[in-house]
Amino acid sequence: MGQKPFGTAPDAGGAGRRRGQGQLESQVLAALHHAPGPVTAAWVQERLGGDLAYTTVMTILSRLHAKQAVTRERSGRAYVWTPAADEAGLAALRMRRVLDGEPDRDAVLTSFVSALSPHDEQLLRTLLDRAADDSSDEDGTDIPQGTAHPDEARGA
Amino acid sequence: MGVFVFLPLVLPLTALPIARLAEQHLHPRASTRLLSLLAAVLGLCSTLCLGLLMVVGTAQLPGNPLPDGWSDPEVRAAVPYAEVAGAAAIPLLAAALTGCGTALLRHRRIRDRTHRALDGLPAGADPAVLPDDEPYAYAVPGTAGRPGRIAVSRGMLRSLDEDERRALFAHERAHLACRHHRYLLAVRLAGCVNPLLLPLRSAVAFAAERWADEEAAREVGDRRLTARAVGKAALVTRAAPAPGTAHFAAPEPGPVPRRVAALLGPVPPARHWPPALTRAGLAALVAAAGTAASALSALNAAVALFLVLKAATPL
Repeated sequence: MGQKPFGTAPDAGGAGRRRGQGQLESQVLAALHHAPGPVTAAWVQERLGGDLAYTTVMTILSRLHAKQAVTRERSGRAYVWTPAADEAGLAALRMRRVLDGEPDRDAVLTSFVSALSPHDEQLLRTLLDRAADDSSDEDGTDIPQGTAHPDEARGA
Repeated sequence: MGVFVFLPLVLPLTALPIARLAEQHLHPRASTRLLSLLAAVLGLCSTLCLGLLMVVGTAQLPGNPLPDGWSDPEVRAAVPYAEVAGAAAIPLLAAALTGCGTALLRHRRIRDRTHRALDGLPAGADPAVLPDDEPYAYAVPGTAGRPGRIAVSRGMLRSLDEDERRALFAHERAHLACRHHRYLLAVRLAGCVNPLLLPLRSAVAFAAERWADEEAAREVGDRRLTARAVGKAALVTRAAPAPGTAHFAAPEPGPVPRRVAALLGPVPPARHWPPALTRAGLAALVAAAGTAASALSALNAAVALFLVLKAATPL
């Protein structure tokens, strides 16, 4: 868990990013991932072995917060921190950013299906319906259409 | 070289009939390969001829770095309408090359960004399942250092049953194993260098999807199941219809219904070339003849210009 991905996040600060900070960020995030729940910066500092200054931990947490990799809540006078999502969640977030930001993506990433026009949708439902009818005829089983195609019931 | 230098610029037109007919008459594997090959050869020849015209055009510009002899009347006499054609070729070639460069860069950027997005997941996690309710499934082409990956959202998996998921994964794996992104990139670049080749883009994109569908159907051993997977995935994916398009709903069915219909039909014949005496066979022959003529004209023009320029260069 959490060796390196967060430091290499392509978004973030851009030019000012220095090596080492990325590593610290992923350490802090890894620590948060192992936390039993929302924790304070002091807990993170202790968890990391105490060779980081409290202010450094705070700086890193704020930076992660700016990247939306962690969330914070006020608890008394301090903040408690939680990782925004696990690694799969972060990968999903980044994937969505690529998908939303690249209108031309389908030329590179081959998508399973492309979007349907309303006309296509009608046509597709008819085709699937007919296929379901055929297969139930062949099998000799009488599957009610509704259960064969849950989408049918939902649509229209 | 005469008029031959212009032929490769318009001969791509001969590829259009077969682009339309290949879908019904050829196995998708054959039509992907045939159409990509046509696009690549026609695109290369067209660019070569544009380059030759550009040399003639540049030689006429004042202050150009080319040998003075290259703007002699003999050189210009070799190209019909040398002034106009030469001058027009410069911006056209620049636009073609810029288009290619942009397309290549975009291809790499999207591919690399996607790989970086998936880097957080363990390398062995393939297909990469992303906790996202939005349904999507993509095949991400590999790079030098990274193998190709499949990225599927949880929303997509949730909408399919166990068997349909197998079809989905088989489809995406086929994209990666058969390197469909290369064919797609080739026709994309061809469309950038000569807009007459643009219709081949959608034809190859569709053929590649059909090819992956056929591979998936073969692997799961059930065409109807594969058709159902494609259909269900499309129904959950259906994007919010773009405003305006609803009123102009195309009477011609889109790619997904055509794919489903093809999967519900019989296995396509595994031939590489449509039977000669059909419309598709004739179209394929016309395309092949056009491509050969294009290649010969480009070669002819290149050799002729080389000889003319060699004669005009003072040694």
